[in-house]
Amino acid sequence: MLSRIAESLFWMGRYLERADATARLLDVQIHQLLEDVNSDEAAASRVLLSVMGIPAPAENLSLARATAVLAFDRTQPSSIVSSLSAARENARGIREALASELWECLNATHVGLAQRTLTTKALGPHAFFRFARFVKDRVAIATGIVEGTMSRDHGFQFLVLGRSLERADMLARLLAVRTSLPSSTSAWFTTLRCCSAHEAFLRVHRGAVERERVLEFLLLDRLFPRSAWSALATAEQCLAVLDEDHGRRGSSDAATRALGRARAELEYRTLEEILQSLPRMLAGIERTCSEVGGAVAARYFHEGVAHAWRTERLQLVEEGGA
Amino acid sequence: MSWRVGTTHRSHYRYGTRALSSYNELRMTPKASERQRVLESELLLEPAAAVFTYRDYWGTVVQSFDVQVPHEALEVVARSVVETSAPAPLPEDGPDWSALRDEDVADRFAELLVPTAYAPFNPNLAGLARGAAEGATPAEAVRRIGELVRSHLRYEAGTTAVTTSALQAWAQGSGVCQDFAHLTVALLRQVGIPARYTSGYLHPKKAAVVGERVSAASHAWVEAWLGRWWPLDPTNGDPVGERHVTVAHGRDYSDVAPFIGIYQGGALLELEVEVVLERLA
Amino acid sequence: MEPVTDLFARYEVGPVWDEMFLESGAARQVASDLHATLRSLSSQDLEDRCAERDRSFRDRGVTFSLAGEERPFPLDPVPRLVSAQEWSVIERGVAQRVRALEAFLADIYGRGQVFADRVVPRRVVATARHFHRAAAGIAPANGVRIHVAGIDLVRDEKGEFRVLEDNVRIPSGVSYVMENRRTMGRIFPELFASHRVRPVADYPAQLLSALEAASPRGRSGAPRVVVLTPGVHNSAYFEHTFLARQMGVELVEGRDLVCRDNVLFMLTTAGEERVDVVYRRVDDDFLDPVQFRSNSILGCAGLVNAARAGNVTIANAVGNGVADDKLVYTYVPALIEYYLGEQPVLPNVATYRLEEPDTLAEVLERIDQLVLKPVDGSGGYGLVIGPHATDEELVTLAAAVKASPRSWIAQEVVGLSTVPTKVGGNLEPRHVDLRPFAVNDGRTVWVVPGGLTRVALPKGSLVVNSSQGGGSKDTWVLADPQSEAPEPATSAPEPILSHSSHPFDAGPQVGPGASNGQEQQQQQARTC
Repeated sequence: MLSRIAESLFWMGRYLERADATARLLDVQIHQLLEDVNSDEAAASRVLLSVMGIPAPAENLSLARATAVLAFDRTQPSSIVSSLSAARENARGIREALASELWECLNATHVGLAQRTLTTKALGPHAFFRFARFVKDRVAIATGIVEGTMSRDHGFQFLVLGRSLERADMLARLLAVRTSLPSSTSAWFTTLRCCSAHEAFLRVHRGAVERERVLEFLLLDRLFPRSAWSALATAEQCLAVLDEDHGRRGSSDAATRALGRARAELEYRTLEEILQSLPRMLAGIERTCSEVGGAVAARYFHEGVAHAWRTERLQLVEEGGA
Repeated sequence: MSWRVGTTHRSHYRYGTRALSSYNELRMTPKASERQRVLESELLLEPAAAVFTYRDYWGTVVQSFDVQVPHEALEVVARSVVETSAPAPLPEDGPDWSALRDEDVADRFAELLVPTAYAPFNPNLAGLARGAAEGATPAEAVRRIGELVRSHLRYEAGTTAVTTSALQAWAQGSGVCQDFAHLTVALLRQVGIPARYTSGYLHPKKAAVVGERVSAASHAWVEAWLGRWWPLDPTNGDPVGERHVTVAHGRDYSDVAPFIGIYQGGALLELEVEVVLERLA
Repeated sequence: MEPVTDLFARYEVGPVWDEMFLESGAARQVASDLHATLRSLSSQDLEDRCAERDRSFRDRGVTFSLAGEERPFPLDPVPRLVSAQEWSVIERGVAQRVRALEAFLADIYGRGQVFADRVVPRRVVATARHFHRAAAGIAPANGVRIHVAGIDLVRDEKGEFRVLEDNVRIPSGVSYVMENRRTMGRIFPELFASHRVRPVADYPAQLLSALEAASPRGRSGAPRVVVLTPGVHNSAYFEHTFLARQMGVELVEGRDLVCRDNVLFMLTTAGEERVDVVYRRVDDDFLDPVQFRSNSILGCAGLVNAARAGNVTIANAVGNGVADDKLVYTYVPALIEYYLGEQPVLPNVATYRLEEPDTLAEVLERIDQLVLKPVDGSGGYGLVIGPHATDEELVTLAAAVKASPRSWIAQEVVGLSTVPTKVGGNLEPRHVDLRPFAVNDGRTVWVVPGGLTRVALPKGSLVVNSSQGGGSKDTWVLADPQSEAPEPATSAPEPILSHSSHPFDAGPQVGPGASNGQEQQQQQARTC
């Protein structure tokens, strides 16, 4: 398939996942703050920003401010509105390669977003849940259309690859910040909810929301689709379909090697070992996602072909020997 | 009498940041004609590239190539060896005006009788041209128009650019050979004499010593239709002859530009152009 | 109940050729069945069918972008009929024209014999804006430069079809021919039963076949064809996606392509893949920044020389615009005689060249009675219809024409034929033209039986271009009643199966009261 289309699908997958994950994150944090009168708003806001790798301002940090940045700031490439608009822009250029329903869904999301942004900003953080629900619903619809209508061709693989990398990356970021902070049952419960994992977790572990179990679940669970293991394994499967010349001597594909290593790190270590080197592990997952993104771009997307032509080749005819 | 002349045209482009790719067309190969034989011609490129050669609409040899490896600089060296001579003199009686105004002639050279962006028409210029042609035979008119241009334009490098039109050069009263040639073709066309812009090289020394390498430059002059193409060099007024190496003809500079191309990369940092001529025999 | 004659209540046939009614007011033979059907409809019926039409277009995203706005393509619900006999003239005439223009383009970009033989002055070609000297010497693989042509026809007061202009650059609109037909099938199924309408759906297959035949590596080399679009912002983007999808080829943009050593590749996830034929919908000026506008990013650098080197075919060829030049148009009847030794099947509209001073003076004299057209325009831009222009417009026009007579031609106003068109709740006569599409594979010029009929919607208006806000009609070419069997449709529609007799599978009963629901569902299934 055309590299341009593959690249757009990949990024559509990433941006949709990013919008979704950010909406969940904000929704849960805001909800918890509103419920818990003792919580420290500034500290929680700092956590939110640092998950997304955005430096927090030294003072006047409020939930409203963090929300404004993470949800509505168009200049912030990882904000929800930026992510959704980028997903739509990617879809727009490849409309002919998409199911028309998918394009219509993304377009309608874009149109609805503007109105909801205004309302939510006016009503303040406590109304954010409506906005978050809108975003989650729209992404769920888009995902449903993708799953239900898209052929399992290479295009699909690129889209799922993008989504899976983003998912692993977002999870690693979230856990890195969480584990650097004091541990409490409520904080871990919030973490589970940010990943929409609390219900699945409770079904397995009942009420025992403990650090080790939560980390084990979010990092290693084979059945839960948002665990780091699942995300990495899914990405790996996509690459296996895409990489037609993987043979018997192991993989020559840089992206596949990086992903395989990261997955094996999780898979073939005891939980104890993992917990002992947790910060390194999490940083490793983030790095892997970025490496894989780079390797995929280099191999499949023909990066670096800028298309600005310059003309400075006209030579002046000079001197007539007068 | 004829001369054997070796030409070397070296262009060196250096970019601010690496150029990723480039596409280029050269019009640097001398043209075979009655007064010029092309004995050798070669092209050296750095970085190396496969060269595709074709003849364009005007019969000019075009060498095209693309460079797909990132490069900090591009060097193009076009070398050739030609034998030049003066054109056979015009017959005394030459064509008269009615022969030029003949419908067939006018139609055959239609595109060399109309204004171009570089050589536009203008009522003032038309008046001057008509004045010069008045009472003269076409051949005489061609000579007078050459003189007219020389009397109005002062040769001065750096006062005009590659994009300057004849009108602008006229307005400021100075220019280089390109401007002299553009103004001349515009004036000739305005009195109904088909005229073409000619590019090439000029050996600067009338009494050139065999074996001496002389620094020169690209040059431009004009050919007028007087029953056959008759060259004149409005920049210096010298007769066109052994010292002139012809490369290309066209309506104006844009048809014969020696080097056109586009590239992706940083701004051009430096352009060096060097033309060396050597009389070989 | 409304009277059934309602729809034609306000139909007044003008002084021009009406395609449905004779001067006597009786329906023409070709249209008698259609007329009878329409008479039996109430305006509510017609409204219902239009609602169906709008749904159909909206669902399928058939849109046209006008001044930056996406609109559903305007299709009038009443089809336009062309008899088999009339069509055979059009078909021969269009094919003849394409053959002559092919010969002309090959000649002027090659030896120029037509000049030497004084059929067309060199001046006319050399001063045409779209005469591209960069195209000189490029020999297309199978000799074809006009892979696709759209020849605009009008029908004059006597009912004779005449050529209004030739479009051999990148004629657009064929996707609407096919989409209009699909939609008509939904809104007037009964008319298809009473008329033997020749199918238009063959077009993409014919086009692909012609493009493959143009491959420098020959048809046997499994040529790779792509459609090159300027991108989503182009007004004809819908058509580009439509054609790429229907032909099953890649739709590419300039940034998907790269030329290396005069070979064209597209950038894919499997690496660079060689391309043999580019069906480009990008104008010459933007096609190759090396040769044309150097700042264009819509095309591909090096493409023209790749074609010159014989490694890729550009369809349609670069430089075809000279054949669309309105001044060249005046010579086409002569070109047909010169190249083909035939008499023109379709005449031109009476046209004046303005470079001759006497003609110019005459035209300026009666500029208010003539149509003036810029020679290098298309899509109706810049056209002035004398009788409809204000004095002020005419003064400006006369000055422009005097300043540059080469840039204009003058034509007699043709009283375009009219056809019944839905206006509000009635049918009224509106002027139409016709753009048949022809595909040249190097052996035959195939004309799709149909074409885009464009309607001037305002009463009395003669401007039909969709870029100027006109409407369209489905054009029905009727099969020859003499012919034995209807021509085989390339894709016979599958019969639609009646409902399956299997009951739906249902999940286990859950929750109270679910069993009733399930029984009901099964019963419903049985009654289907």
